Amino acid sequence: MVSELSPRSWPLAVAVVGAFLVLPVRALAQDAEAEPLTAFDLLARSPQLGGTDIPRDLPGRATVGAPRRPRMPDATVPMPDLGRQSPLPAPELLRMESPVPSPSSELLAPASAEAAASVSEVPMGLPAPLTPQGRPDSPLSPLPASTTALLDASRSFQVVPVAVAVVPGLLFHGLAPALAGDGHTAKRLFAMEGAGLGLIALGGVPIALTGASRRTIAPLYAVTLAGFSVFGISALANLYSVASPAFDPGVPASSLPPLEFEMGYQYVSDTSFDYDHFVSLGAVARFEEVKLEAIARLAPDEGNTQVRLGGAYRLLGEPERRRAGSDGSSLDAELFGLFHRFPTEGFTVVGGDMGFRGRYAMSRVSPSLAGSFAEASIGMALQGYSYPGPVSDGNLHSQLLFSFGYGVWLGRGGGPFKGEAMLFYDHRKDGFAGGLRTLGGGVVGNFGLRGRALLTETWGVAAEFQAGGALVGRLSLIYALGGES
Amino acid sequence: MSRIGAMGVLSALLMTGCLRPAENRAVRDSKVGRAEGGGLSLEVADGLAAVRSVGSGEVTLWGNAPVFTARATLDAESTSDWVLTVRNAMPDAELLAELEDGEVLAVEPVPQALPTVKAWRVGLRPGAVARLRVAPPGWDSTAPFRFAALADVQEALPRVGDIYARLVKDDSLRFILFAGDLTENGTREQLLEFQERLEAGSRIPLYATLGNHETFSKDAEEYTTLVGRGSQSFVFQGVRFTVVDSSNGTLDPIVEEQLDGWLASSRQGTHVVAMHVPPQDPVGLRGGGFANRGESAGLVGKLAREGVDLTLYGHIHSYYSFTNAGIPAFISGGGGAIPETFDGVGRHYLAVDIGANEGLREASLVRVD
Repeated sequence: MVSELSPRSWPLAVAVVGAFLVLPVRALAQDAEAEPLTAFDLLARSPQLGGTDIPRDLPGRATVGAPRRPRMPDATVPMPDLGRQSPLPAPELLRMESPVPSPSSELLAPASAEAAASVSEVPMGLPAPLTPQGRPDSPLSPLPASTTALLDASRSFQVVPVAVAVVPGLLFHGLAPALAGDGHTAKRLFAMEGAGLGLIALGGVPIALTGASRRTIAPLYAVTLAGFSVFGISALANLYSVASPAFDPGVPASSLPPLEFEMGYQYVSDTSFDYDHFVSLGAVARFEEVKLEAIARLAPDEGNTQVRLGGAYRLLGEPERRRAGSDGSSLDAELFGLFHRFPTEGFTVVGGDMGFRGRYAMSRVSPSLAGSFAEASIGMALQGYSYPGPVSDGNLHSQLLFSFGYGVWLGRGGGPFKGEAMLFYDHRKDGFAGGLRTLGGGVVGNFGLRGRALLTETWGVAAEFQAGGALVGRLSLIYALGGES
Repeated sequence: MSRIGAMGVLSALLMTGCLRPAENRAVRDSKVGRAEGGGLSLEVADGLAAVRSVGSGEVTLWGNAPVFTARATLDAESTSDWVLTVRNAMPDAELLAELEDGEVLAVEPVPQALPTVKAWRVGLRPGAVARLRVAPPGWDSTAPFRFAALADVQEALPRVGDIYARLVKDDSLRFILFAGDLTENGTREQLLEFQERLEAGSRIPLYATLGNHETFSKDAEEYTTLVGRGSQSFVFQGVRFTVVDSSNGTLDPIVEEQLDGWLASSRQGTHVVAMHVPPQDPVGLRGGGFANRGESAGLVGKLAREGVDLTLYGHIHSYYSFTNAGIPAFISGGGGAIPETFDGVGRHYLAVDIGANEGLREASLVRVD
């Protein structure tokens, strides 16, 4: 339907969609506090658009209030006739009514009579967040068959929306889910795209008008980059929303090991430097709210050495040691020190970074984005350059730190396999990748893809690729201590 | 499989292009100043002038240095009477023409209306090689002198005459050293207009490197044709001036190798290095410098070790005075492009007093508006 709009109608359409979202009315079936559906909601959910008002409560999805427990069908209450929109296929319902405990009915059984009473308030047919092993307070579990069936019933992989998500979906970010019949996600992504473009204009236009004035550049730059991050995240969410029905969404690991060591190899292709081969070392120690990190990159033949030490303090969200069913959203304050020696070029960098890093479960934006997350960071670095010999530089150089990315959780909640992968943009220019060497000089940072996964309780791999002014590739082996979850 | 292979090759090319975006320009630089026509083969040493036309007894060059030499080889059957026209020349420039054996050839000045356009009638020897040198008197002295530093005219091209009018008031200025972004998009029409306005308004020549805006059209092909090299070095009155192409926020390895040679040749002398994008933006949060801070730190450290006396930059449309690795540095992007607000500067240029023995004597901000 959206595609039938003429090109000149797009700004109006975006504005209208944005207006619908100014006063966000969450769907009745998805909110703890029930509110009437808007006309747009009803239209977007209509079967004619392929939509459905069946909530898609997936593991990792944000919930409001106390977690809702699965409801046992009450034989005394007549089941509403949901027709073909029924969230639970008939065989599932039959199994739930069976007096013989089956694996699935065991999973759905309430823990107590009180729990049964409390969950009875949940509207009939709601697939409330599933709890593993029937324990309401346990971490999220892999998707049981009933939920898989539910997902299959409400979402199906379609080739055309995936293609549209690339062209012209990279420009029209809600188009792909709209074509797939997911109006809820579509309007959210259109709103995000509009917000991103708005922020870009809000920061970018004054930058142009002020000639990137030294007096105002820092906040304007931050706003502009925030706009690009929202725009980029909505573009990738657009693709993810229509590609994700092809696979089971991942969930955040319920806990990460208290101690990890990493060793690997890094290759850098940079025409401005002689170095290329690096030994990569790393360590992570996770406490309750505090995470300490140490990273070293050593070029044995050329002597280039980079050491980064620091940590993060969790301001919001569950600690990584015990995420216990949270959707992985978090906010950290970070502080790092940097030492980077360039023996061939004859200088050393010493400095510090400070900033904030946030991660947001995209299931909070739309259930169809479950299994993915957006990440952004902002901060500042202060650095000094030291030159051996008579050369002296007494300047303290500052740098705006900004990054954003769109990632997916790789694990499904069961077994030791846990991890994540993320496409990202990093604005910093003092790393091995540097910034892109563009027609505008060196303003733009670098892009990359990084992944990290524990394959067993103790062993895992990490890989990263970055493309800026240089190409950087890294592959590491991870050894975890205390990784049992 | 062939499609995948083609995609792989394309990706590799794109990646290579991203890693060395200035490589083509650096390669193209090596061809500047070379041309053949009318039986004459001309080669300007170090590409310090662009050959605008050659043939039918006439050669026209666009000078990009106050002093340059050329090697002219004339076919045995070709005419010996030639007119050499040098645009963007020093107002008092003279032509010296001599054969390889030291025999001086006859040269007759041809009067011109514009102060920076010089022409001479010269009798070349068919079948012989002549060495031509265009330079003002005293070019090889070590007397101190003054030049102007300017950058970033861009869309303010229609108003650039104001700057030339201000420059005319200072008789002591010998030439303008321009740190890139002559035009908005680097098209042929814009570059020709820039040169016409320069010749009409300025009594001194302008020696330039290119800026990122020149690369917007065909990767600065027109700039190379009409103006000359993006990276070059010349010596005037004992002071070496080196300009390098940093318009992509990096130096291509070819340029860096050339720079190493120029730095080594003037290690003990006074050396001015200019480029468009500064290695380090003094406002670090803005990050208008090089794409890789490690590269920029390595570059300014090398300049400092090699005894560079002054660095001049553009790209940022304001005036900044700072140091990089201890070298005095100035950003003088006051040619009129969208100005940086709240800086209290406006259009301006820098008047620099320098000498071969004294080094940098003084750099003064001169406001135009």
